[in-house]
Amino acid sequence: MRRLTEHDEAEINSILSREDEILPSSGFTVSVMDAVRREAAAPPPIPFPWKRALPGLVVAGLALVLILVEGVVAIAQFGKATTPQLSMSMPPVPPPIFHGGIGSAVIWTVLALLVAFVSVKLSIRLTSGRV
Amino acid sequence: MNASATDDQADVERVLAGDISAFEGIVRRWQTPLVNLAYRFCHDRGRSEDMAQEAFLRAYRGLGQWRKDAVFSSWLFAVATNLYRSELRRIPARTVSLEDIAEPPDTRASDGGQEDSDYDRDTAVRRAVGALPAKYREALTLFYFHDMDVATAARSLGLPEGTVKARLFRGREILRSKLPHLSAVPHLKEA
Repeated sequence: MRRLTEHDEAEINSILSREDEILPSSGFTVSVMDAVRREAAAPPPIPFPWKRALPGLVVAGLALVLILVEGVVAIAQFGKATTPQLSMSMPPVPPPIFHGGIGSAVIWTVLALLVAFVSVKLSIRLTSGRV
Repeated sequence: MNASATDDQADVERVLAGDISAFEGIVRRWQTPLVNLAYRFCHDRGRSEDMAQEAFLRAYRGLGQWRKDAVFSSWLFAVATNLYRSELRRIPARTVSLEDIAEPPDTRASDGGQEDSDYDRDTAVRRAVGALPAKYREALTLFYFHDMDVATAARSLGLPEGTVKARLFRGREILRSKLPHLSAVPHLKEA
């Protein structure tokens, strides 16, 4: 690429400095002020209802921690049950979480559906401001 | 502090105190520069007014964020520049590629009128600027809009002066490589 000389720079400066000026249309100020007044009259954005949501968030956080702890404990017990010596002689023992069979699965499913239902109802009530 | 800066500060204080009509003073003082800056970005008169209006609205919403240690106009131009750059990224202005820029005619070889050749040359250079990569185009646009003041252009772009200088240099070099006949025009060498 050819290097830029002083002449080149002066030429480009000369051309690009001569940009024509345009004037805003006659109604521009009025239009801007109308938009500003509309903006000022609009209700302020609804802040997130932290106070109302906090108990739910705390419960959800605790539930998450509980599930994680349960999961870690289950995996640790499953690991102990499948040590090389034992795996040679007996089949691996499933973690306690799987002990309940079909009855336990139904309870967990119902519980999950209940939590989902309560969450949806609560969020609808929160957004409609009836709480 | 000059009269305009004093007026700006007084109007901002009135607006922040709840007198919305005081914003009209700010609009009247800065509408022409903001519309012209928008026009340099998009080269579309109608769109430039829409962009400038949105810039004023943004300034109105963010008036409380203006720190009075900076001149109001610097803050306003930074708000507007930021908006214009985003707008142009969202819906780019119509440009031609750098490869398709028509060379300005070499006046040594033609007997055409001087005005025509000036017009062709200016048009070719402006089209070439429009076809530059955004970072070089924005630096050049702000630099020439602010009467070749690198510091002001840098403040509007929110970039260090060194970065703006480097982009200006590189942008001009690209222009020069795409328009090799530019300095072949004799009268231009006197500029």
